[in-house]
Formats: sequence, structure tokens, C-alpha cells
Amino acid sequence: MTNLTAMPELSASAALPPPRGYWAVAMRKLLRPLLVKLCVLYIAAVLVISVLVPFIATGKPYIISLHTAHGLVTRYPLFADLTTRDYLTFLTAGMLIALAAIWRLTARVDLLRRRKLRWVSALTCISATVIAGVLVASLHHNQFDGTNYRHLMKSGRATGAIFAPIPWGYAQMEPLGRQAVNEMPSWRHWLGTDRSGRDVLSRMLWASRVAMGIGFVSQFIALSLGIIVGALMGYFSGVCDILGMRIVEMVEAIPTFFLILTFIAVFGRSTLMIMIILGVTGWTGYARFLRAEFLRIRQLDYIVAARASGAPLHSVLFRHMLPNGLTPVLVSASFGLAGAVTIESSLSYLGIGVRPPTPSWGGMLNAAGNPATVFHWFQALPPGFVLFLTVLAFNLVGEALRDAIDPRSFS
Amino acid sequence: MLSYIIRRILLMFPTLIGMTFIIFAIVRMAPGLTTSGGMYTAGMLQSHQSQLAQQRFMARRLHLITRNGKPIPIAIQYVRWINRIIHGDLGTSIEFSEPVTKLVLQRLPVTLTINLISMVIIYLIAVPGGVLAAIYRGRLVDRIFGLGSLVLYSLPIIWVGSMLLGFLANPSFLNVFPSAGLHSTNTSKMSYFQFVFDYAWHITLPVLCLSYGGFAYLAKQVRGSYIDNLQQDFTRTARAKGLPPSTVLLRHVTQNSMLPMITIVGMTLPGLLGGSVIVEQIFSIQGMGRLMFEATYARDLPVIQSLALVTSAITLVSYLMVDIAYHMVDPRVTYD
Repeated sequence: MTNLTAMPELSASAALPPPRGYWAVAMRKLLRPLLVKLCVLYIAAVLVISVLVPFIATGKPYIISLHTAHGLVTRYPLFADLTTRDYLTFLTAGMLIALAAIWRLTARVDLLRRRKLRWVSALTCISATVIAGVLVASLHHNQFDGTNYRHLMKSGRATGAIFAPIPWGYAQMEPLGRQAVNEMPSWRHWLGTDRSGRDVLSRMLWASRVAMGIGFVSQFIALSLGIIVGALMGYFSGVCDILGMRIVEMVEAIPTFFLILTFIAVFGRSTLMIMIILGVTGWTGYARFLRAEFLRIRQLDYIVAARASGAPLHSVLFRHMLPNGLTPVLVSASFGLAGAVTIESSLSYLGIGVRPPTPSWGGMLNAAGNPATVFHWFQALPPGFVLFLTVLAFNLVGEALRDAIDPRSFS
Repeated sequence: MLSYIIRRILLMFPTLIGMTFIIFAIVRMAPGLTTSGGMYTAGMLQSHQSQLAQQRFMARRLHLITRNGKPIPIAIQYVRWINRIIHGDLGTSIEFSEPVTKLVLQRLPVTLTINLISMVIIYLIAVPGGVLAAIYRGRLVDRIFGLGSLVLYSLPIIWVGSMLLGFLANPSFLNVFPSAGLHSTNTSKMSYFQFVFDYAWHITLPVLCLSYGGFAYLAKQVRGSYIDNLQQDFTRTARAKGLPPSTVLLRHVTQNSMLPMITIVGMTLPGLLGGSVIVEQIFSIQGMGRLMFEATYARDLPVIQSLALVTSAITLVSYLMVDIAYHMVDPRVTYD
């Protein structure tokens, strides 16, 4: 990141430097990367929270000793309560971290061995994750644990428990005796409670999982589709290009939000379906980008040389063209992510996004009441602000990356 | 000129046909549409309401199948659908029990007016801002405008909309703006100016919500193209001739920087139409976006496919107009 942002400083100084004082130069050198660093940190924090949220915000204690007929029994309700989806999330996150580590560790190995090493270890890693995922999905059964552990502690039937930092589950309501609906922030509930007496902070943290999950998976689908179509159009050009561009134009002519709503009306709105829908409607931009890049790169000397020396098609495509053409596409994926997060929350706000017990930032905004009559602003402020910060962070990082790879747009 | 326009319009038809095909294909993939038969017929008819629900369900399934109850081939369904569209019949809404054409004609003007007003506001703010940013490139003005427009672009409409409504149109805070609709209830007693003022008062918040996010992209493009043209040889020549800076900017740079401004008219409209779904829902405006939302909520497929078609037709027409304007401004440009 720092290398990338430092690069245009050199090229910018060559082209018509605007008069600038020492202070301004210093401030910019300091501020710009700092802002970007903050954004990257924020995104990383949201990602970590979205993966580890079952350990952060839940009503189940990590460990508790219960008095039973057989004496003192130690239980681990939080770990027993993890769902299949939680395990799958951990597995996926672990796999991605392992892949990144493999890439990093093999960077120093010499070229021929590195290629083989990377392929073998990445394939092992992915297949191990898939096997583990299938095992978990088939063997693990979600258990519903309705015990109120706070009540157990209070009534003295349990001694010694360690609770999570935010001891409220996303669907956990206050007990019926307590009138705790639409509460203002207090020590008991740091951000107050919503209309069903559920903890707003806990729901907000859980919602980051929905947002990040839908954002990343949908953009992964969109990127894959866009890269395939764009590469085909750009490399083969001619008829392939003309046909492909007509298809891209047709899809782009339908306003995105209307297309998404059409898909939702037809296919329903489970979380997985929304991921797929956002992916299927969002690939055209990537395809356009990669096509333009490929059309440019095709003419470059090293591609001509590679083709003239008889390199096979897959070698030219995947070894020479794709690594060089992919950068702008990946940069625009940052904006795509921001867009996907926005659309997901808008859908949930309208009531046609993820289904109600699952928290989503948009859904929480909607749950803050009808703004024209009864408006609980303390419920609407935090989720909206977090949503704004997330979208802004992705946009700023995208902007910085784009400036970094394209010296012309640098001021 | 005329031949260009004609060729451009002819080029539009394949896209239009392909687009109808895509919409038709999506809607036709709805589960339970292609075959007849009822899963709702047993044990669900106790109340009047569930009878109605069943009727609607059957209507949803059967709205494209022949009267004899036999499914007809998909290709023929498509041709019939196109044929009906050509004759101006967009089908009948299941939810509203009204012809879709009538619904669309009722609601299209509302949405288009609000969107066009927002577009004008976006241009009025983004173009001068972009020009200023280009002139003071790298200075504080540029930085603030760039960052500010990006921040505005990142503000989610749902949050801003509900906050504005919650704080400015709410009896428990400030009750300055109306919270719903486009007109007050007593419009018949108003004079013309009162009517216009009332309308402006009602659309202030919706238009604000629609337009604030649009500055960033346009301003960035305007800034980029002004910066490009400020470095060109002809600008240097004009300056060297001793022309005043304002003349250089207005006559030499602006005329050459108009192309991106024109292009973006066509690109902003689809985004605004999409945004109007949310804005109209928040501010309870009976426009096309709200109709789309209601239709999606009720799975009213005839309305959905017609609205997708109408909005994409609007988009295509705006692309067409952009291309023609482009050709007028710069006759060297031809379609690729």
C-alpha cells in the first residue's frame, strides 16, 4: 500500500508541479497515507469482528459452573451454541489466512519451485477446507439453548461464569418482567435496546457479518463472471468482442436497482440468493474494464513476443496478460464492495433484504421506527454511521489505489 | 447528421430486443409459472382472505398461460408478450387489479420530474465545483471538494433520508417539512404560486436525498477534463496571445471540456431512477420507484417486468440523446 501510494509522487513532480509550500507537501505526505491506513485498519477491524462475532456478542458465557443434582458441573455453553454457519465462516476465514500466508512464505523461494509449491499447497489448503466444511455441515447439528444464564447466576444456581464482552445475543430479548423496549443507552445496554428489547450494539456487530459476507461473496461472483467475459472479449476481439459488448450493453441498460428488484421478486430473498443476485447483476463494469485493459495489452511488445515465440494460448492469457490486466479491475472491486454493502442495507431497509431475525444495518434503521411519527434516533444513529464509515472506507481505499496505479489522475 | 441519427437508432434495436429477452427470461424463471396446477387448493380456503390469496397466487401462475389451462411454448409466450407491448398493453396488475399501462402513466411523470430536478441541481453544483477544483488543483479547495464529494457519495441514502425525516419532519423534533406526499391536501384552493411553492416545499427533502450523492463522479470527470485541457497547446497559445483568463477558460477550455459533461447525463439517469425507489419509499411519494417496490413486495410479476422494461427504455433513450448531443458537439465522434 505504502509503495503504491508513494509511486505517483515521483511521476507527478515531472508534470507541471503546482506551487506548493513546504507545509502543504509535508501535510499531504503525512495525511493521505494516514487516512488510507485508517480506512484499511477500519475494514480489517470490521472483518475480524464479522468473523469472530459469536465470541464477542452473545448471551452465552464462555464457561460456567452449575449446581446440579450431581454436584458442581462445568459447562461451555458458548462453544456448544456455535452453529454450522459459524464453523463454516471460521473455516473460510482460516483458509484465506492460510492462503495469504502460503503466498507470503513462498515469495523468497526460487521461481520454478515456487510455482509448484504454491499450486500444491493452495490446492491442499482448499481441498482440506472443503472436506472439513462438508464434514461440519453433515455432522454438526445446531442446538437451541434457551437457558437464561444471567438468571441462573442471579438465583445462585450457578457460580463463577465468564461472559462475552457484550453479553447479549442478537435475538436475545430482555425477560418479560422488565420493561426494556426502546431504551436509551445505559450501562446495561451500551447503545440501548430496540423495539423488541434486543441489544442494539450486539445486533450492530452481528450485522457486520451480513454486510461483509454479502459484499465479499457477491463481488467474488461478479469478479469471476466479469473476468471471464472481459478476458474473452479482450483477447479474441472481433465477433466475440462485438457480441459480448452487446450483452454487456443490454444488461447495463436495465437500471441496476430495478434489475435487482426483479431478481428478488422472482427468486426470493434468502441471504445466499441476495449474494448471487448482487453478483449476477454487478459483473458488467469489471468485464468492461478488463476488456479495455486486454485490448491495450494485446498490442504491447511482450505479448506479441510471447505469441511469436509460440507460447500456448493458456500461457499467454494467464501468465502474461491476466496478471498485468487485473490490477485496475481489482481496484474497482473496492468500489463494487462499497456498492454491494449499500445495496444490501437498502434492500433490508425496504424490508426485502435478509429476513428479520438476522440483523442488518439497513434493517436496524428501519426498526428505529417510522421517522415521521415515532423516531428513536438513538437506534438509527449507530447502524447508519457504521454503514457510512464502511462504505466511505471502501471508497477511499479504492480512490487511493486508483490514484496510485494511474499517475495521470493524481493531482 | 441525419444519417448518423438514423444509424444510431437502428443500432438501438438489437439492444432493445436483447433487453426484452433478458427481462422475459428472468421473469419466466419464477418457480411455478410454467406449469399449471395448484398447491394452494387443499385446506387453505377457510377465510375470505385466504381465498383472495389463492386467487392471486393462481393469477400469478397463470397470467401468461392460455385460457384452456394448457401451457404454451415459451417462444410463443415471448412473441405474444412483445406483440402486446407493441400494442401498448403491458398486462394487468395482480396487486392493484388495474392495467399496468395506466399505473405507469400515472406514476412516471412524478418520478421523472423529481429526477430531472435533481439532475439539474447536481449539474449546478458539481460543474462549478469541478472547474474550481481544476483551477486550484492540489490546493486546499481541490482537496476539500474532492474529499467532501466522496464523503457525500458514501453517505447512504437510507440513513440520510430517515435522519432528515426524523429530525426535520417530526412533531417531536422540528416539524419544518412535510413528511409524505407531493402536495398538501387543500391544493384546489391555492393560487398558482402557492401551488408551486407548496410543491417545492414538499420535494425539498426528496430532491436533496437524490442529488447529494451525485456530485462526486461528475465533479471528478469535469475536473479531469478541465485539467487535461488546461495543459493543451491551444490553451497556452490563447494565454500567450494575452487573452484574459476568463475568456481562455470560458471559450477555449470549457467548449472542449463539454464532452464528459454530456456523457454523464446518460449515466446519471439510471442511477437516479434506482435511487428513487428508496427515496420515494422513505418520503411516501407515489412514483414509479414506489410502485416497483410495492410490486416486488407483492411479487406482482406483470408490473415488475413492465417497469423493468419502461426504465430500461428510458435509459436507452437517454443514451441515444447523449450520443446525438455528442455528435452535435463533436462531429468527429462516431459510434464504434
